[in-house]
Amino acid sequence: MADTINQLSTGLSIASILLLVSLGLAIIYGTMGVINLAHGDFLMLGAYSVWFLQTYFGISLIPGLVLVFLMVGAVGWLVEKTIIRHLYARPLDTILATWGIGILLEQSVRLGAGAELRYVQMPPSLTSAVHILGTDQSTYRIFIFVLTVLLLLATYGLIFKTSFGMRLRAVTQNPEIAKCFGVNASQVYSLTFAYGAGLAGIAGALISPLKSVSPDMGIGFVVDAFMVVVMGGVESLLGTVVSSGLLGELSGGIAYLTNDTLAKAVVFTGIVILIRFRPQGLFAVRMRRG
Amino acid sequence: MSTRHSSRAWIYGYIAVCVVMLALPLFVSDGYLLNKFARYIIFGILSLALCLSWGYAGILNLGQAVSFGLGSYCMAMALKLRTIPIQTGGGVPDFMSWNNVKTLPWFWEPFHSYAFAIFAGMAVPAILAFLLGWFVFRARVTGVYVAIITLAMLVVVNLLIIDAQSYTGGFNGITDLTTLKLFGIAFDAYSKATYYLAAFSLIAALLIGLAIIKSKTGLVMQAIRDDEMRVRYFGYDVAHYQNFAFCVSAAIAGFAGMLYTLVMEFASPTFLNVSISLSIVIWCAVGGRASLLGAALGAIVVTGVQGSLSDSPKFLDTWMLIMGALFIAVVLFLPKGLVSLIDIFEQRFRKQAAGGGGPLTPTALPAAAPAASELRQDEVG
Repeated sequence: MADTINQLSTGLSIASILLLVSLGLAIIYGTMGVINLAHGDFLMLGAYSVWFLQTYFGISLIPGLVLVFLMVGAVGWLVEKTIIRHLYARPLDTILATWGIGILLEQSVRLGAGAELRYVQMPPSLTSAVHILGTDQSTYRIFIFVLTVLLLLATYGLIFKTSFGMRLRAVTQNPEIAKCFGVNASQVYSLTFAYGAGLAGIAGALISPLKSVSPDMGIGFVVDAFMVVVMGGVESLLGTVVSSGLLGELSGGIAYLTNDTLAKAVVFTGIVILIRFRPQGLFAVRMRRG
Repeated sequence: MSTRHSSRAWIYGYIAVCVVMLALPLFVSDGYLLNKFARYIIFGILSLALCLSWGYAGILNLGQAVSFGLGSYCMAMALKLRTIPIQTGGGVPDFMSWNNVKTLPWFWEPFHSYAFAIFAGMAVPAILAFLLGWFVFRARVTGVYVAIITLAMLVVVNLLIIDAQSYTGGFNGITDLTTLKLFGIAFDAYSKATYYLAAFSLIAALLIGLAIIKSKTGLVMQAIRDDEMRVRYFGYDVAHYQNFAFCVSAAIAGFAGMLYTLVMEFASPTFLNVSISLSIVIWCAVGGRASLLGAALGAIVVTGVQGSLSDSPKFLDTWMLIMGALFIAVVLFLPKGLVSLIDIFEQRFRKQAAGGGGPLTPTALPAAAPAASELRQDEVG
């Protein structure tokens, strides 16, 4: 019993991190049709921001989150303004451009902060474990889970309950007509991209105490996040949530039976096979228009 | 792709590159330099392989390094097996005995034969590509999704190879190899023989590539790149052609990987990491994905400049930063790569010759048309 609960909670923990990482990615892709390969590097930037704030200003992780969100969001805003906006008509090229942006970010960090691993301290109040249903659960992982749910709700509210969200949905559905009604589409795009980047920054910040921080930490996460997006589809937040949950539990379970690498390989193979037989169910309409 | 008015320039280009490559050892006798040049040439082959699938069939393969790495391991396995009598005295290669593997795994057995190893170096990547392609292309997955899936495959295969330490050498890869001897020629890493092998391989790859893109299959591939749906309506089996391009590209990359093992004298999981894959895409994009020669030259020039400037890690980091910026600039302003500058200049020159400022001359039109279609294919429908 305790074993099963442990297993489920490990899966849930993986799932919440997956969701955290893929949320920004899915929003950017869903609204703008941009595959952002620099997403992992925004995440890395978030982790480094936390490390930077902690080392030089003594600001600990939790109060630093807002700052990190703003910092990484600003970088995202700048990237959209200078590069991405010229490529809306060429989706395949946005992959290349964002990959290039990823290199720029990664190398800048490597040259600026050094290539060695950095470590971020967990907030002392969250280092303990909580006793739930006869098992010990890390408080920090529960904290991540709760924060992920809150961010998800905030994102949902932003998209469906605010006037910005309405403009965003209008631009997603039909940019031309939205413009005719006076929606500033280019501003919506910049802000959405900034928001997605900011979310990646928060994800990176939250992951930083669990993993060592290095300039190339992003790529593993971005691939996982894409698996979530590929499997869940991007038209709905729900798809992202469900597929993070599924993939998290699946990876957790297989990793428990074998190891992390095999779990990754099995999940990847599963997704490729799934694509063959149910591409329309898993992918958004967008795919077929390509 | 060459337009009619400049096709002669392209032929001269091909001939010039081949002649320079083959004549080089007459002027360079330093083994270390030859080894370096051979490496650049191998990267050229690799970039050309990507060009075939990306530039001509529209399949952006971000995991090209998988094929390269698998090819490299196939060659390394064959060369490693020959060292058993010297290094361990029997049974298994040295790194396996360190990992307590007592008997040679079944999939190592056939690599006692060079013929099999060379075949496998191309067949293994091609089969893997075929399997992935079968699932992906049959499902009519295109564009960005193919890119993501190939990238994911790269990460997974890389992890698997590192993970299977007792069979693949893990992080260290397969080192301490013997020298390949075929038909009485020893392909020492620093010899002219190896350099010529690389050079002739590039020439062969160029010829094979040209033969494919000039054939009817090649035309269909390019048509698929420009408008997949339309080709489907004409009754062609699109997935079939896509998979063909994907597999040929993988086989060529696998061959390049085998050569790379000869030149580097080891195989390592770094040969199939994300940064190599990224470099391949950059070479291909910077050189010109719309031209086999452009893609190959892109790799040779970029790695050549990089290698001639410095080898220090600090410099490499700065260099990568510059490459990132150049890559973005090329993607934004010159989608067909630096090679397209030649076409642009030639076009301008012709316009001036035809009386400047006037309407487009008929000879200039074909050059403009592909550029327009290139943009159109990428638009969201």
